[in-house]
Amino acid sequence: MDLDSQNDLGASHWRELLKGALAVTPLSIAVLPWGLLAGSFALESGLDVFQSQAMSAIVFAGSTQLVACGLFKAGASLSTMLLTTLFVTSRHLLYSLAMRPHISKQPLRWRLLLGFLLTDELFALCGKQKPEQFDRWYALGAGLWFYLCWNAASLVGIVAGAQLPNLQELGLDFAVAATFIALVIPQVKSLPVLAAVLIAGVASLVFELIELSGGLIFASLLAMVSAYLLEKAQQAGRGR
Amino acid sequence: MIWLAIILMTLVVFTSRYLFLEPKLPLKLNRHARGILAYSSAAVLTALWVPLVFIPEGELNLKLSNPYLVAALVAIVLAKATKNVLLTTVLSMLLFFGLKQWLG
Repeated sequence: MDLDSQNDLGASHWRELLKGALAVTPLSIAVLPWGLLAGSFALESGLDVFQSQAMSAIVFAGSTQLVACGLFKAGASLSTMLLTTLFVTSRHLLYSLAMRPHISKQPLRWRLLLGFLLTDELFALCGKQKPEQFDRWYALGAGLWFYLCWNAASLVGIVAGAQLPNLQELGLDFAVAATFIALVIPQVKSLPVLAAVLIAGVASLVFELIELSGGLIFASLLAMVSAYLLEKAQQAGRGR
Repeated sequence: MIWLAIILMTLVVFTSRYLFLEPKLPLKLNRHARGILAYSSAAVLTALWVPLVFIPEGELNLKLSNPYLVAALVAIVLAKATKNVLLTTVLSMLLFFGLKQWLG
């Protein structure tokens, strides 16, 4: 391989990396307040500075971190913490399953890296791609930039700590809802996708209201299977 | 104890993210499984945002005085019309904070 084409390859990797970082930027901004909260809440729950940062640096899962801090504060047992973590994190199993065609053929270090970075936000960007559209550099750019933003926000939360205004009352969770809406709605281009969205929405509401644990997963699976059955029924209706 | 908990939580979270990315895991996704999983992104993301918007304070709130609901409806229209993630997010957030000030 001559040097020029090697440079071209490097340039295209770099381009994809930047494209991924750019694509995840709105989501990174939307979670900044949550990052702040994750940092300050960890400190408030009795973790030291290093432990608080480690929550973001190695656990790296917003909802798990916030729930865990609540449990630290309440003095819950280790087994309670792990069982709760398992519940909160179970949706990642679904992401990992959905991304299997995209990532399982990658070399080990790519699998480990992209697996570690596989958050709601990364899945929001890459989960809708077909395996042949998937670019590992794009995913890496998105995942790393999101990781850096999350950790920087947590650090500010740890340092600023108690001086921050009451973040929970500001209603910043709307930012997360807005980004997910912005990512999902353009995907609605067919009747089955519309059905998936409507069923997931209604079911998640019902399950949340009856306080079913794991409701998120059940609502999602119900919506996915229904949408697929509708797709098959449509195909059969057209008589192929 | 705290460090142990952090490390064990890391393992649980990482395992849940990595498990099915492992090619040695003897699991072949057939046509149907792939077909179902094609809807996972639309389904999960919706199931994440809908409760935030409709149940902002622990109970169902379908009133137009719910800033989450109004701003979310506007976000849906914006997303449909512009297909622009950043624009949709920023405009609907501005509206949300405006409504919150005005209503609150």
